[in-house]
Amino acid sequence: MSERRVYVDYIARAEGDGAIDVVISADGQLKKARWEVWEPPRFFEGFLVGRSYEEVPEVVQRICGICPHPHLLSSLRAIERAMDIRVSDQTVLLRKLLALGDWFMSHALHVYMLAAPDFVGYESVIAMAGNPDLLPIVKKALQAKRLGNDISVVVTGHEIQNRTAVVGGFTAVPTRAQLQGLKERLQAAKEFCVETVQLAARLASQAPFPELVRPCEHVALKAEDSYAIYEGRLVSTEGLDVPDYEYPQWLIEKHVPPSNAKHAIVKGRDSFLTGPLARVNLNFSQLSPDAQAAAREVGFQAPDFNPFMSIVARGIEMLHVCDAASEVIDQLGTPVYEEPRYQVKAGEGYAVTEAPRGICTHGGRFDKDGICLKWDIVAPTARNIYNLEKDFREFIPRLLHLPDEELTLKIEMMVRNYDPCQSCATHALRVNLVREG
Amino acid sequence: MAKPKLAFFKFTSCAGCLLSVLNLEDHLLDIVGAVDIVHFLMARRETQPGPYDVAFIEGAVSTPHEVEQLKEIRRQSKVLVALGNCAVTGGVPSMKNFAGSEREMEERVYSETWDIKSIPVRGLDYYVKVDEYLRGCSIDLNELVVLLKSLLLGVSPRFRPHSVCNECKLKENVCLLISKGKACMGSVSAAGCGALCPSLNRPCEGCRGPSNDANAEALAYTFVSDLGLSPEEVRRKFQKYAGNTPAFRKGAEAL
Repeated sequence: MSERRVYVDYIARAEGDGAIDVVISADGQLKKARWEVWEPPRFFEGFLVGRSYEEVPEVVQRICGICPHPHLLSSLRAIERAMDIRVSDQTVLLRKLLALGDWFMSHALHVYMLAAPDFVGYESVIAMAGNPDLLPIVKKALQAKRLGNDISVVVTGHEIQNRTAVVGGFTAVPTRAQLQGLKERLQAAKEFCVETVQLAARLASQAPFPELVRPCEHVALKAEDSYAIYEGRLVSTEGLDVPDYEYPQWLIEKHVPPSNAKHAIVKGRDSFLTGPLARVNLNFSQLSPDAQAAAREVGFQAPDFNPFMSIVARGIEMLHVCDAASEVIDQLGTPVYEEPRYQVKAGEGYAVTEAPRGICTHGGRFDKDGICLKWDIVAPTARNIYNLEKDFREFIPRLLHLPDEELTLKIEMMVRNYDPCQSCATHALRVNLVREG
Repeated sequence: MAKPKLAFFKFTSCAGCLLSVLNLEDHLLDIVGAVDIVHFLMARRETQPGPYDVAFIEGAVSTPHEVEQLKEIRRQSKVLVALGNCAVTGGVPSMKNFAGSEREMEERVYSETWDIKSIPVRGLDYYVKVDEYLRGCSIDLNELVVLLKSLLLGVSPRFRPHSVCNECKLKENVCLLISKGKACMGSVSAAGCGALCPSLNRPCEGCRGPSNDANAEALAYTFVSDLGLSPEEVRRKFQKYAGNTPAFRKGAEAL
């Protein structure tokens, strides 16, 4: 027997470049289990210093092409908190709709195009589309993804880079007819979302996944009146319950070479998980009634500490978005243009919103002219990396009987559970497996 | 005829322009039928080595490793496409070039910098010949479809070189610069977006880089004399999406 090494130099079906490096000794001990982000650093926190407060949201939304809106919304809320700017109810509703659309697009992308191929034995959704039995599902998934994109187009003018949301409000608002069109499509998409929950549950119920349970702290936003997405308190399964703007005191980061990303812990405790599974676990009773029913029907019980259930949580949230976004559209009625009005002043502010893949935190300080003096950005994937490495340490020793190719795929799937966004994290995904001896 | 082999790569960027390929939901299955996508890590696990008929690169060049990778991809590819503003000009990551030294930037973001190797951020054609450019942050989906069709037909797409103002006038928008006194960069920025931002009451920020006849210095003076912007504010505007380009450099250094 020799040392065994799993090394994936670029993990596929994830956003950004990362590597996995796993080394197993001849006697079956795990000597190394690392997920390394190789994305080149882009230094947003460096070059934002000296930029105007208006440029911060415009630029930080460009951190990530897949979850631009959480970066936008967290930065807007942090700036508005720093300058004591109050926004209208209509602005809050439009921002919520934008965030819900982002979840829907990203979850449809992840469930069907990034994660499902692993579970059904295809290398990609392109290969799945080649199977006549799977083609109709692929087509429906593309339609769902387009609906998520169209929510963004209606609210902000574009699929990815928001054009209308600015500090204090919006430069333009959608028409009632546009919003009603979205609502009709959201209602029509519910059936497909129920099927998605069922499909995801079937996939996650295949051996060995149900055995791979690892209790750890789950962290999410919690709102009083709804399933939190745009604002709320920061809560956890271990009793954390603080205002979101206190995140710099509670969620701490360490830089661990050779990775360019930073590793995150809860103050005084250990690594934690953020993302759809944490949200469903912490806020289950605030999901829409239909989403709760679909979850119960497939036997989901909160809290569930199996990270492979993340794909089910995404399906549940897609169904919830259909209802929650429809409700927001009803509340919006006929939007009217409101000119953003506020006074620029010196201040400091921090805020958290829920990105599709977990809490996205932004904040910093401005001088009296609104020039940025300091800016702090931590994307959800950066919060999750350390926790994923703990999954490796717990699960890989149980899977050593698998041949190399299958073990490698299972390790990649452990990474894809987090739907990692490595551009955000200052990226990485490579699997590299070595068995010694 | 064999299907053309397409490869998609990501350098220093946000993945938004690669995602835009997947955002062509209505065309995606047709595209997959017409070409052979042999390398696209975000979408598929299997990859094939070059040579490629067409390589698309999203992102700027910001590390020595990327310079080497870029040269290798160029060597392997008949047609090289700069996919999006970062690949075309260096884009948003190039903001770092104007904010301080490499060392300063590294130390502001990372507590330990020994393993970080960054160089000034550039677009692809600083290092190699680029055949086609898809501008914009992020790219325009219609232009992406036009480019794919053109490549299949073996012709150059001939994108519009004129300014955003042309498209804005066609939309009969009220001018944000002249009538509303907003610092719109549409008059010096490349069209092709359909004047998206000004049509939504948002000034153009030049995310597609300069148009072919940009007089950025004149606009810089106008921003100061007519709108009361400070020279520093003007500099920042020209050093955001395309600060590396000669035209926007003139705007940034005009005052």
